[in-house]
Amino acid sequence: MNAVIEAKGIVKVFGSIKALDNLTFKVHPSEIYGLIGPNGAGKTTALRIVSTLILPTSGSVRVFGQDVVSEASEVRKLITYLPEDAGAYKNLSGYEYLQFMGRFNSQNRENLNVMVEDAAKISGLGERLRDKVKTYSKGMKRRLLVARALMNKPKLAALDEPTSGLDVLHAYHVRGIIKQYAKDYGVTVLLSSHNMLEVEHLCDRVALVNKGRIVAEGTPTELKTKYNVTNLEEVFVEVAGLA
Amino acid sequence: MLKELRNLVTKEVKEMMRDPRILLGMILAPLLIFPLMGAAIKTSTEAMQESIKNISIAVVDIDREDVAKNLTDFLKSSGVKVETLDAQNVNETARAVQGSNITAVIVIPADFSKNITSGERGELMIFGVFREGSLSESITFSTAQGLLESFKQSLINQTVQNRIPGSDPDVVLNPLNVSQKSIIKGKPVDVNPSALFAFTQTQFFGLPLALFMLIILAMQLAATSVASEKEEKTLETLMSLPVSRFTILIGKLAGSTVVAAIGAVATIMGVVYYMSSITFGASTQQLPIDLNAVGLTPNLLGYVVLGTSVFVSLLAALALAVVVSVFAEDVRGAQSLLGFVYMPLLIPMFVLMFADLNSLPLGLKILLLALPFTHPMLAARATITGDYFIAVLGIGYVTLFTIAILYVAARIFATEKILTAKIRFGRKKTREE
Repeated sequence: MNAVIEAKGIVKVFGSIKALDNLTFKVHPSEIYGLIGPNGAGKTTALRIVSTLILPTSGSVRVFGQDVVSEASEVRKLITYLPEDAGAYKNLSGYEYLQFMGRFNSQNRENLNVMVEDAAKISGLGERLRDKVKTYSKGMKRRLLVARALMNKPKLAALDEPTSGLDVLHAYHVRGIIKQYAKDYGVTVLLSSHNMLEVEHLCDRVALVNKGRIVAEGTPTELKTKYNVTNLEEVFVEVAGLA
Repeated sequence: MLKELRNLVTKEVKEMMRDPRILLGMILAPLLIFPLMGAAIKTSTEAMQESIKNISIAVVDIDREDVAKNLTDFLKSSGVKVETLDAQNVNETARAVQGSNITAVIVIPADFSKNITSGERGELMIFGVFREGSLSESITFSTAQGLLESFKQSLINQTVQNRIPGSDPDVVLNPLNVSQKSIIKGKPVDVNPSALFAFTQTQFFGLPLALFMLIILAMQLAATSVASEKEEKTLETLMSLPVSRFTILIGKLAGSTVVAAIGAVATIMGVVYYMSSITFGASTQQLPIDLNAVGLTPNLLGYVVLGTSVFVSLLAALALAVVVSVFAEDVRGAQSLLGFVYMPLLIPMFVLMFADLNSLPLGLKILLLALPFTHPMLAARATITGDYFIAVLGIGYVTLFTIAILYVAARIFATEKILTAKIRFGRKKTREE
């Protein structure tokens, strides 16, 4: 089976800081793969490299066999990227935002309308979509952006902390949507989170990242069994060596 | 690409036009403030003209002889309301004026008539009554002065006629008649050159000011548009979309140009209205100049050259603003960075408002020619002189300049620098991680 993402030995250096240090992983089709670790571990950098936003200092990443550096524009047709803490255009309404973003991925009007309707359902914002984004709460904005990232059923969705800023109920709802899209539409998901308990329920496989390296990888069950602990948080404490 | 560009430009325009700061500051304010200022000035001018009709001058005739009576009659015949005050000296006069609305008093002392008829100088006094120091007070006073001047003229004419019988006093007093005409583009034209110079001077002031405002507006818009996308992290999302980075860049430039153009039109409309309300009085005194007849109206070629020159300079400014804003982390940072850029770029163009390029020292001349914003002004002069060579060269130069800046902007947009480049102000933050 061909990998959706094949990252080999990615190194990324910003000035004097080595954000990624020989990161290697593979993500399979329709899989939800989680990069988890503390703040500053390098998760966002990895997602940005996969999403063609920044270039690896060395190493290579292929998305559906296309190189993220030399074939970036091909890769962008297959992916959507949800940045952490991102905003939307304040003076557009939720609908206008979804339409604006959707036009880049839609072939025609019907196609666009379907996308926007899907996004309206995912976001659960209802009539509030007619209001300007600047009137939204942080959680509402996040739901709008998650909906945007999934509405065109991309081949790969790179989601950076998809549930950040959401309350328990909405986080639960968003996790359900991500799972459903992976299962129903074959969307492969690469996500990052520092909430290890959340990831345990959502991801098929996870990589624990610390200081730019993968320190453990496997299904949540495999990892818990291997380290003989009850949850991923404890796995992380075991491998990161704080214990 | 066109479909994506349209989508981007529509978004930019919507996002900017709905920003209350832009809508109020750039479009509504100039449309309202200038006409309001104009209306205020117009109303007060009209009120003043109304009050001049009611000017009343007081005369204190202590002399009570013939010439003094002539003067009073002369004043009365001028259409100005003349009141005669009964007073014997200056102090009494001052008291009598107190509490009235008289703003000018002419005092004719004793022996006034006697002195004049005996060929000596007649003494007169005129008092301006100072109440608020308002314009109408000053106009009343100068009206009274003007009337005395006319009376003096009639005395001179009489004297000349008495001393040189049969002569025309006007010719005796004005032995020279100078008629003022211009030569334009090698043709003699019956137009007063002073009026013509005054006209072209306003042109030379108006265009740079309008251009200066347009360029600053456009640069601020473009920089704010890039910086707010960085601040809100919408840029990251935009960059991961299947649309070329160059299209995103052009979309930003085009969006800012559209909004800046709307703002410029609003400003110009406001200014034109404002100017038309304040030149209300002045324009009637000046000779109406038919620019068409004297060959000073720009022809179609002139307008095309000027329009092109302004357009390419605007593009240069926008591209420059985008490049600058890439290095800012947020909108405020972008505004401060811009401040460093546009002042040195724009101030030199004001030199051209006062000086002719050819009369400047070589170094300054080269510096001015190197700046893109100088060229629209040279193009504006070319529309008057008809010498388009330097204007067309300028367009070529600014186009190359713009392409170079656009190339730099496109290169930055195509790399991760657009997301990672930054210049920090003040103390460096220490990384928390």
